[in-house]
Amino acid sequence: MAAVRRYDILDTPPDGAYDRVAALAARLFEVPVATVTIVDEDRIWFKATHGLEGVTEIGRDPGLCASAVLTDDPTVIPDTLVDPIACSNPLVAGPMGVRFYAAAPIITADGYRLGTVNVLDTRPREISEADSATLADLAAVVRDQLELRLSALHVVRAEQERRKVEQDKRQAEEEARQRAERDKTAIAAFASTLQRTLVPPALPAVPGLELACHYQTASPQEVGGDFYDVFPVDGGRWAFFLGDVCGKGAEAASVTSLTRYTLRAAALVDADPTAALKALNTALLLDAAVGTRFCTAIFGLLDPAPDGGFTVTLATGGHPPAYHLSPTEDGGVRVEAVRAKGGMLVGAFAEAAFASRTLHLAPGQGLLLYTDGLTEARTADGDMLADTGLTDFLAQRSATVGAGRLIDDTVALLDTLPDTERDDVALLALSVPAPDAAPAGITTTAHSAAAPTADASVGQENRRP
Amino acid sequence: MTDAFHIDVPHTDGTLAVIALSGEFDITTAPAVRARALELIAAGHPDLVADLAGVTFCDSSGLGALVGIWRCAKDADGSLALAAIPDRLGRLLSVTGMDTFLPAHPSADAALAAGQGRTTA
Repeated sequence: MAAVRRYDILDTPPDGAYDRVAALAARLFEVPVATVTIVDEDRIWFKATHGLEGVTEIGRDPGLCASAVLTDDPTVIPDTLVDPIACSNPLVAGPMGVRFYAAAPIITADGYRLGTVNVLDTRPREISEADSATLADLAAVVRDQLELRLSALHVVRAEQERRKVEQDKRQAEEEARQRAERDKTAIAAFASTLQRTLVPPALPAVPGLELACHYQTASPQEVGGDFYDVFPVDGGRWAFFLGDVCGKGAEAASVTSLTRYTLRAAALVDADPTAALKALNTALLLDAAVGTRFCTAIFGLLDPAPDGGFTVTLATGGHPPAYHLSPTEDGGVRVEAVRAKGGMLVGAFAEAAFASRTLHLAPGQGLLLYTDGLTEARTADGDMLADTGLTDFLAQRSATVGAGRLIDDTVALLDTLPDTERDDVALLALSVPAPDAAPAGITTTAHSAAAPTADASVGQENRRP
Repeated sequence: MTDAFHIDVPHTDGTLAVIALSGEFDITTAPAVRARALELIAAGHPDLVADLAGVTFCDSSGLGALVGIWRCAKDADGSLALAAIPDRLGRLLSVTGMDTFLPAHPSADAALAAGQGRTTA
């Protein structure tokens, strides 16, 4: 039966080749009926019929086909009525009144008998050995036909299988592409959200101080490693910090978060800037996931002074110097780099020491903090702006050292530089308005390359009287 | 403007190895330097001398690699010394306080002569 299934021939539509075999058998044996049958479990199915139109299958009653398929040799029943088994077969006993039956089994190459080629007559008759051999040959023709059909079937199925595999593959690729596209969008959205949580949305209003900032990432895809913050400590004192985490991307961003929260928390325990950097150093070295990540940072403490200015204590951890700007009597600007000798990278060495310096930020004076994205920006001739380029720029500005103008001018300077290999840039400026100047205000100029509204000259600006 | 970056190991001797860098030592090249140095440490040369004579630019990623190498060398009971530091890089090492931890020598030969690159820092 498995062999029958293998050839997959049952219940297939009529096929010219088998019909011709049936017609040929009828003509050769001069009989009214000839058939090609396949023997199924519970029926005998007619693959081809000649002289028996309309009949597609019969039961497996013994005596004729059902018996003939059980032997390798042709079966010949010259007169069915004298055959003890065939005489009761419905084809014999029924209206057809078959009297003569001869059949040859269809035997596959591996010895399975699938069915028979049959000739039937309503009159008894004898056939010769040669006729039996002819019948066996016809069965062999059917066998060959089935083999051919099977091999063709194999080819077609293999082709269908191949096409299906290809189609599945194309579909999988398309799905992967769409998924990647969705992931990319999701990641960009996530990075943008994360960035918003990393960058303070606006600076606080500090009485008697003008504040301005600028923040720009190298690309919208990158979560920046630059950070800054300004926050109240106690008794009218304020703290601020600005820094740069070594590296880029998500790992740097996690260090940026850790750094900001650690510095804020540390300042509430001990507002001393050196102590805050020490706490950060310990936190970064303790955090195993952070590995060899470290940062440079400046941490400052603002203490209101009687003259309306502030006493500023600045501690530096391996960060480029801040610039203290003060107007000179001749209308120029004095630019002084605020260096604290001995400040080291934060989070790199357990033994790191941090140094601080105290300065007086008098009314009319300003302080600029920046990350190395500014000093390492390339000028048109390919050199870096460097400390000298920055100090020259600061010294050549007009006497006004207001934080808002300072940031606007510095951003304008950056915008004149070629945009290649631009790193993250964070700028923070603090200034004490001169007594005779316009009312003190807070300028928050937040620029972000990642924000769709980014505009180098406007960004977000709040001036509060 | 971009110089091809090279890492050479011109000298090894016992636990010592000189690793010479040239070109821009930045975010794109730092991982290779770190990897090469860790290979040397793993191969039994934890006392490293980084010859920086050919370094034209070094950013925070370059510094990061040096710190990482210094830590790994220390973990392997070794050391990291710097040789022939270009001016700008020298200022960077000073600003970041790294010069306190990483001994500097005028040349790789001088570093080798000065106590086989070993430091007690």
